[in-house]
Amino acid sequence: MLRNVDLWTRDGFFSTPDGSSIYFWGLASREDGKAQLPGPLIVVQQGDTVRINLTNTLPEATSLLFPGQEGVTVDDGTGPRPVQPRFGPGGVLTSFTDYADYPDNPMANPTRVTYAFTPENPGTYLYWSGTNVHRQVLMGLHGCLIVRPADYDESVPARRTAYGEGTGTEFDREYVLVLAEVDPELNYNVEHGFPYRVRDYKPRYWTMNGRCAVDTMLPSGVGYLPTQPYGSMITAEPGEKVLFRYAGGGIENHPLHPHGNHTRIVGLDGRLLRNGATDLSYKRFTVLVGPGQTYDQIFIWTGLGFDPVTHPIPTVLPQLQNLAVGHAGNTLWSGSAYLGLKGDLPVGVADLNDMGEYYFMLHSHEEVQITNWGKYPGGLMTMVAVFPSGRLGERHGRIPYTESVPV
Amino acid sequence: MAIIEQRLGATDGWVKMPDGNLFYIMGFVDITGVPETAVVSYRGKARLIAPLVEAKVGDEVYLTLTNLGFPGRPDLDDSHTVHWHGFPNQIPLYDGVPEASVAVRVGRDFDYYYKPLDPGTYMYHCHFEPVEHIQMGMVGPLIARPRDYDPGVPALKTAYGSGTGTEFAREYFVFLTELDARAHEFMVLVQEYDWSEYRADYYLINGRAYPDTVKDNGDPSLPSQPFSARIKANTGDRVLLRFVNLGYQQHAIEIVGIPLHVAGVDAQRPVGLNGEDLSYGKNVLYVAPGQTYDVMFTAPAPGTYPLYNRNCHKNMNAGVAPGGMVSEVAVHPGTLPPQPGPNA
Ligand SMILES: [Cu+2]
Ligand SMILES: [Cu+2]
Repeated sequence: MLRNVDLWTRDGFFSTPDGSSIYFWGLASREDGKAQLPGPLIVVQQGDTVRINLTNTLPEATSLLFPGQEGVTVDDGTGPRPVQPRFGPGGVLTSFTDYADYPDNPMANPTRVTYAFTPENPGTYLYWSGTNVHRQVLMGLHGCLIVRPADYDESVPARRTAYGEGTGTEFDREYVLVLAEVDPELNYNVEHGFPYRVRDYKPRYWTMNGRCAVDTMLPSGVGYLPTQPYGSMITAEPGEKVLFRYAGGGIENHPLHPHGNHTRIVGLDGRLLRNGATDLSYKRFTVLVGPGQTYDQIFIWTGLGFDPVTHPIPTVLPQLQNLAVGHAGNTLWSGSAYLGLKGDLPVGVADLNDMGEYYFMLHSHEEVQITNWGKYPGGLMTMVAVFPSGRLGERHGRIPYTESVPV
Repeated sequence: MAIIEQRLGATDGWVKMPDGNLFYIMGFVDITGVPETAVVSYRGKARLIAPLVEAKVGDEVYLTLTNLGFPGRPDLDDSHTVHWHGFPNQIPLYDGVPEASVAVRVGRDFDYYYKPLDPGTYMYHCHFEPVEHIQMGMVGPLIARPRDYDPGVPALKTAYGSGTGTEFAREYFVFLTELDARAHEFMVLVQEYDWSEYRADYYLINGRAYPDTVKDNGDPSLPSQPFSARIKANTGDRVLLRFVNLGYQQHAIEIVGIPLHVAGVDAQRPVGLNGEDLSYGKNVLYVAPGQTYDVMFTAPAPGTYPLYNRNCHKNMNAGVAPGGMVSEVAVHPGTLPPQPGPNA
């Protein structure tokens, strides 16, 4: 199938929960759309002919790299040819790949190029700028690419997989977490044309799908985060297989740790962890996500069988006045030890719990990364919400099958 | 299966670095069996690192947390929790995340309950304002032993159960953290710290920096830092090292002359879906915050084998070498008596 994906580079502002509005460079999926952070999630299928039409509106040339894809071609209006690095005067490398020039360049190269490739392998990939990478990748020009296996069929559980039927990668729900970090001073310097010195890089914000906690827990597409369309709240029911797709979009390491259970890592950088008949998958409770790395993992929470009648908890819950409930005036706790039950909460604590669901934190264990400019809570943190069986509904955690997910 | 009752007090205290500097900490102290009237005498006696919590698969652990308050910061009334990091299939009530369950106020108790089902090396820490409470010292080691564990039977003295190739004669936790001097100074001076300015000045193993790391357990000069980081074995002993990282940086640990075999990561044997043995060797073990590694070696010829951080700038105390994450493996010619317990 031919898949056309249109992208426009554009500048914009994203916001942080502590009230900052930060200049960034991003990608829009419509000509009149806003830049978004990270770039649009692109979902294609193994064997598709994927054409990425990139139009540049930034004040410098830009490009896209597709790590993990082979045989990438570029077409700047003269017909497709294999992508090549670009060199400037004196043979100095100016771009890792062919680029779309900036408007009004006196050299008048095209501002629009089309990259094309046919993904050979299913899995999770990143795409990012290949030009002035020390600035453009950090400024926000990166995003996630999902390649569905050729036999993918959302309606058939055995074929709703990350890597194809029989690979042990079936999932009930899936979530993408693109990780990055931001030094607002560098972004400010780019905005105002001041010298940009990446050696002074000192991140103050850490982003999960372009948002800092606690905004990570808001739904996708909330109107007041127009350039940060993707939420990171993970929802599941007990026993379900939840596919976590971690992707390192920034330049730092992020050791992500989900509460609730280990994950089984089934794919690395878009490659199934299997050699012939030998399974190489493994379980972790903390995964160190490095720059440019992707990790496909299955998370399952089954619980321990606690039930108020058949298997009550073996401790006595103290009186409410003897407990500290609610952090910063609200709580995700149901007031009960049991899944699906609600109990009393102290007066004055806002109840954010819907139906007795459980919340498990998922966060970076490099704890400075769970702050917003040094203040907890923030940064690389979200929750895995486990709902009582049959209560969540199917639509959560189902990424449209062959769509680039729009703003 | 045993019932284990342990009680931890959460309070503050002071630790000493080898250069003589004292740092204010928050931490846990073991108050198991202490009469109620004497509990108050443990205020201000936090330990770095916190007491070992140890149980067998199938045991029932009742862990009581008592918030003793901060005598060094009487203005602060922080709550605390215990988070058993990595406990599979936990429920929020016992998971210790204040935003998603409950925390323990000053002067109150709370009982956590755990029935571990998977052996391995874990860690525990407070999860209240975690960027602050973890760096301030509320961190401790946790060992879940296999169901068939029997230290009197060599084939059953294992990390992951009989038949898993993890028999050991001696075991040590190697608990890695850092100390940011300014963060600790700001805390006692009642000043707000910008955690994005985090900078490690001291690099600690088991709560101590070299050369304190090689002093004995319970050295009287280090009353708040009871755990030695010196590893001792007889030639030929199988030694299990339980690495934990609860700092905010990656660390790269090498033992000069002793290759390591990774037998467990994050309290899981490296085993594929069909039972494939995916264990592997390492010369330098790279550990991220929030990870644990179970690493084995056979003690070589008698002698001293230095242990250090291949991030070489971390072998310093506030910029002065030698110091930091340095210790040693002391191999004896069969003269050491059997080890009575972890790190003993
Ligand atoms: Cu946590
Ligand atoms: Cu933790």
